[in-house]
Amino acid sequence: MYQYDVLDKEFLADRSAEFRHQVARRLAGEITEEQFKPLRLMNGLYLQLHAYMLRIAIPYGTLNTAQLRKLAWIARTYDKGYGHFTTRTNIQFHWIKLRDMPDILDALAEVDLHAIQTSGNCIRNVTADPRAGATAEEVDDPRVWAEVIRQWSTLHPEFTYLPRKFKIAVTASAKDRTAARTHDIGLALRRERDGTLGFEVMVGGGLGRTPFIGKTVREHLPVDRLLSYLEAILRVYNRHGRRDNPAKARIKILVSQLGVEEFTRQIEAEWALIDAAKVDLPDTELARIRSFFAKTDFETPTRVSAAFDAARLTDPSLARFARNNVHAHKVPGYAIVDVSLKAIGATPGDASAEQLDALADLAERYSMGEARVTHEQNIVLPHVKLDDLPKVHAALKVAGLASPNINLISDIIACPGLDYCALANARAIPVAQDIARRFEDADRAELVGELKIKISGCINACGHHHVGHIGILGVDKKGEEFYQLTLGGSGAEDAEVGKSLGPALPANRVGQAIEDLVEVYLRERKGEERFLDTFRRTGVEPFKEAVYAEAH
Amino acid sequence: MKALTANRLIDGEVVFWSHGRWVERFGEAELFVDDAPADDAEGRAKSEVTVVVEPYLIDVVETDDGAAPIAYRERLRALGPTNTPQHGKQALGGHDIDVIAHASGVARSGGRLNLIKRK
Repeated sequence: MYQYDVLDKEFLADRSAEFRHQVARRLAGEITEEQFKPLRLMNGLYLQLHAYMLRIAIPYGTLNTAQLRKLAWIARTYDKGYGHFTTRTNIQFHWIKLRDMPDILDALAEVDLHAIQTSGNCIRNVTADPRAGATAEEVDDPRVWAEVIRQWSTLHPEFTYLPRKFKIAVTASAKDRTAARTHDIGLALRRERDGTLGFEVMVGGGLGRTPFIGKTVREHLPVDRLLSYLEAILRVYNRHGRRDNPAKARIKILVSQLGVEEFTRQIEAEWALIDAAKVDLPDTELARIRSFFAKTDFETPTRVSAAFDAARLTDPSLARFARNNVHAHKVPGYAIVDVSLKAIGATPGDASAEQLDALADLAERYSMGEARVTHEQNIVLPHVKLDDLPKVHAALKVAGLASPNINLISDIIACPGLDYCALANARAIPVAQDIARRFEDADRAELVGELKIKISGCINACGHHHVGHIGILGVDKKGEEFYQLTLGGSGAEDAEVGKSLGPALPANRVGQAIEDLVEVYLRERKGEERFLDTFRRTGVEPFKEAVYAEAH
Repeated sequence: MKALTANRLIDGEVVFWSHGRWVERFGEAELFVDDAPADDAEGRAKSEVTVVVEPYLIDVVETDDGAAPIAYRERLRALGPTNTPQHGKQALGGHDIDVIAHASGVARSGGRLNLIKRK
């Protein structure tokens, strides 16, 4: 992964010292809360229901062992012993004290972490495929480009006060694991028939109050023109994006109002005015960045592992784990291991300090010192030797991290909801816990197969409910927690916004409704169809009938 | 009936106004029957800019057992998150916590006064 140089380290140290000074001035009454709030938000510090919340950027979801251990230490020292991974592949601590913040930022800076641009109307943390550098599906390592964008967008003076926040995701595989089309800009690397690499550029995706799937404005942008093209998009947005109404300020609204043709025309016109030589990355700098991600120290173990094959024959739990959580690696003899943070009854995305330490140990010993965070609130150990899988699985079990449920019905995305969030209308976590418990039987969960449930506690959609195969949105209906269900959404390469199932349900009917929906799917499905495939074929009617039958 | 609440500046802790000082337990909060003293307290709290952030009044309902915030959001603030009973004020236990935890038959939202700032 990218290594900070002296300049990077000095910058973080300066920034931390600056915030220490700002906190001192706030506590002394030299600046007001109104003046301080934007300063703390620029350092990832929100005030939530019970305490301050610190959101720490994890660029393209990649963490090394020192960073994992530092996060564990912060959880233990300054929080209540845990952290929460988010759908933006960041980590949040929910019980932070303002007085501790300067020391926390210093501690983060020691391992090249910070909270810059995790809030505010700027370009946020850039996310990438969590299997980057490990999957044979990709045409290039998307982290290289995410890092390029990170460096370009960090404190970019022109894009520090955009109309609204701005999120970018980069994928390089046909299978999209970044929800690229739900981002302000989604970038999908593709290789043309002539061998050249280019980006499909998708703009104007986003969830929230007005969900849109991103529109393609360029099928094939030559990779060496990436930064000037991004600059052109941001300039058009910065100039014409609405600043009078936060609910209409995201780029998706601008793209929708102008229409994709006119928006594209404006980007191209702006692009033509940019002095590309000043903006686009020189090949030498790209090569420098690329060198940080080139991994050549893979061993050459055999394609099959006798040890692993023998172990999974005798240990059904390992066999199940391998079926659901272990994926092909580009290097024979290695595997990509998904670590679920969705133990039955647990809070989705939460990891205790002990679990963070355990992940650091496993990454160090078995995964070349690296772990990844996924937008589905799980962790990936990207480079595990097949021979080591039994040991990794055993260690994950000890740490309570061996849930074999990746992509299954209990692998639920849930935002913190009203349990923590000052914006929420209803809770999300208890709904996820209830559903997971209903499908605790692992055989049944596997029988149901891939089913992505995503839950948000308010319309801001941090839980991506619009693109859940089943989406659940908490609403406040006459003073009670109600939940609106949507079906048929997808955040993957077949991205689609889900369709409303019907009137919102009271909290105590949601779990049963999910069971009813699953029953309809199992009854209606043909062959290998996923829930989503069956829904797309049958439409909403049989599902609606099952959930609302009593009301008829 | 009303109470005055805020988050404490230095650590974010949920606090309640009680006769000129801030307390951490809702059970120790001063309850205002009349609007005038409540508004006075709010005005005074707003001047304590190095102590608390954004103080505001909340509606409170009095039951046979004791008092509880009407808004579900405010009950959560007075208790802590429902997914971790070991965290937040609920971990302390006690009669006042029990009353809030079992408050029912009251509205789950609303109750935060002056939430919408009109221009």
